[in-house]
Amino acid sequence: MIEKALKGNRNYWLWIAFLLSVIVFGIYAYTRQMALGLTVTGMGRDVSWGVYIAQFTFLVGVAASAVMVVLPYYLHNQKAFGKIVIVGEFLAVSATLMCLLFILADMGRPDQVLNVLRYPSPHSMVFWDVTVLNGYFILNLVSGWTVLGAERKGVQPPAWIKPVIYLSIPWAFSIHTVTAFLYAGLPGRHLWLTAVLAPRFLASAFAAGTALLVLVSLILKRTAGFDAGNEARGKLAVLATYAGVANFFLLGTEFFTAFYSNVPAHRHSLQYLFFGLEGHASLVPWMWLSLLSGLASVAVLLVPRLRKDTGWLVAACIGLFFSIWIDKGVGLILGGFVPSPLEQIVEYIPSPVEIAVTAGIWAIGILVLSILLKVTVAVKTQE
Amino acid sequence: MINEQRREFIRKTGLGVLAGLGAASGLFPALSLEKTLLPAWDEKPVPGKIRWGMLIDTRLCKGDCQQCTAACHRVHNVPRFINRWDEVKWIWKSPYENVFPTASQQFVDSGTKERKVLALCNHCAEPPCTRACPTEATFRRWDGIVSMDYHRCIGCRFCMAACPYGSRSFNWQDPRPAIRELSPTYPTREKGVVEKCNFCSERLVKGQLPACVEECPEKALTFGDLNDPESDIRKLLESNLTMQRKPELGTRPSVFYII
Amino acid sequence: MKRSIIPFLSAAGIVLLLLAVSYLFMQQGHAEKAPEPPARPVPVDSTKCIAPVGKMRASHMQMLNEWRHSSVREGNRVHVTPDGRRFEKSLNTCLGCHGQNRLFCFNCHMYANVKPTCWNCHLSPMEMP
Repeated sequence: MIEKALKGNRNYWLWIAFLLSVIVFGIYAYTRQMALGLTVTGMGRDVSWGVYIAQFTFLVGVAASAVMVVLPYYLHNQKAFGKIVIVGEFLAVSATLMCLLFILADMGRPDQVLNVLRYPSPHSMVFWDVTVLNGYFILNLVSGWTVLGAERKGVQPPAWIKPVIYLSIPWAFSIHTVTAFLYAGLPGRHLWLTAVLAPRFLASAFAAGTALLVLVSLILKRTAGFDAGNEARGKLAVLATYAGVANFFLLGTEFFTAFYSNVPAHRHSLQYLFFGLEGHASLVPWMWLSLLSGLASVAVLLVPRLRKDTGWLVAACIGLFFSIWIDKGVGLILGGFVPSPLEQIVEYIPSPVEIAVTAGIWAIGILVLSILLKVTVAVKTQE
Repeated sequence: MINEQRREFIRKTGLGVLAGLGAASGLFPALSLEKTLLPAWDEKPVPGKIRWGMLIDTRLCKGDCQQCTAACHRVHNVPRFINRWDEVKWIWKSPYENVFPTASQQFVDSGTKERKVLALCNHCAEPPCTRACPTEATFRRWDGIVSMDYHRCIGCRFCMAACPYGSRSFNWQDPRPAIRELSPTYPTREKGVVEKCNFCSERLVKGQLPACVEECPEKALTFGDLNDPESDIRKLLESNLTMQRKPELGTRPSVFYII
Repeated sequence: MKRSIIPFLSAAGIVLLLLAVSYLFMQQGHAEKAPEPPARPVPVDSTKCIAPVGKMRASHMQMLNEWRHSSVREGNRVHVTPDGRRFEKSLNTCLGCHGQNRLFCFNCHMYANVKPTCWNCHLSPMEMP
């Protein structure tokens, strides 16, 4: 079935060529990193995680959002999602792959990565994260590919796929909860040490991932003539709306606890992010851009007339996706390290090598997604 | 149909190859490493019997003296990077308000306020870093020392995020060029692993005190067994008012301060 | 016409594959003359070593691994030989006797074309003062 990805028009191959060139660029940058060490990034002793882990955290959410289509379709027989389920599953595959690659890119000793499996440490959240991410990747790849394969042959999917798909539903929640637990259990990092982090992760995941799914379905409609249907998109837009509302509500509760309690540890990180701390304010414009674009997008999505209009829908989905990308990626990860445990402020700017590797991994994810969707469209539009 | 026959063939061949590999791994003994001689059991330490701790009398610590840091870094081949990002440090001095940020900072007497306080790994009894490590490359030893196994470290830096005291450093680049003189008493590390103070475990094994304790010209550092009520450190803890870093986090550090 | 080309192409493909694989093996024939077995500049009394020469040559890697695990992770730093002699589980134990030879580990490893990563961190016999 993969051979269907080898048949495409000129635009398709131009797209693939573009992605491959970005990937090559990223691989070259990674070889620099392998040779010289992570010193080529902008990370340092005080901000020891940066754009790689930020992307990983954000993309886990996007991956988990596949459950927003799998659950209604397989568990509750919402037929409207029939054509979009596979897109959601393959989006999850692509996003999970990117997560794993970002983790690998961030490691100091990637050659030792198998130590995580050789010496399992159930008390460590990273151990569980690696386990559940790999499991989720396989679950979605197998279920998506099998169902698609069955459709291509014009038969019902095999019976064993149903439990696999059902398993992917709680598993989606687990990947994001475990990722939130990475942060929410660390006593020294007060921006993260909050019970609301896991719910916030889920809300932002469902908002951003669903918004992306809407955008992907519109792109497929435009480029491949494959329309998942306005009803499916409409339902997804509603889901994104309420997930977005939940996300900003939870952000609001964080603000309340931080500033009303006035406890410095709780307050300082948010202060640094949104208002600047002791003269350091490099992230302030980003955070306000994220907040305002996110609120504006949710406001647009709340109006049914605007939500049904494709132009407004696209703008709102892009806005919401972008807003959460900054909030979860830049804001959450960098904010956790500022101020440092010794109450010092060291700022972080990603280096060119970091940006190149990041772009390369995004390109790999988008390439995998493009190939999987090419196969999907070919199968679904055949007689 | 031809397709069916082909599928059967491929399936059977695949299964056969798998079976063959499985049998082969049982037949070749090289895969079962022969154990070397079993060590004598009476050499194995009793976990929890000793708990190493350190008491730092900041009143005796002279403002610009750096001898403990110099000794530690020399003995352990700690690389010297001057920039804030790549720097690796096992023990260092920071202002009072940075080492004790959760202590009151209101109307602190000028003597205390201007004092530079030693900071190092606290070798906590309940370390968040060892809980975070996905490979148990960092682990709490039988004698209370939070140890690093550089061979196992994958460089994920989760322990660095978990440490509430900022005690850990990462080798962002190859440390060897930044080591002025190689000391034969301890290996170096390589790029990509985390390191921190190890309470001089390699010296303790030889019956020596940690390098910083031995080097301090003012004898400001006391090192000993916190589990032994007769030890010097316990006697000093009994007779002095002491402080710890961020005690509210429940990490139960093994490093104490007299302010 | 079209049908008969497939078996021909498959056969050609297999032949090419076999040629490629055998080319890899044929490379060995063009190597320079084989390296000399390592010399032993400083004769060391093997009866004093922790294990017989043959045993050490065959399994020093496993032994060092076990030592590493035992001493770093279990605090068990004492190695006892079958005849009751005790040694510290450390590379310095080896260098204690063999340290005269600056090429102690490298001699054999170069001959066998083995590149263990010990010396990325540990100070090798060449680097010891």
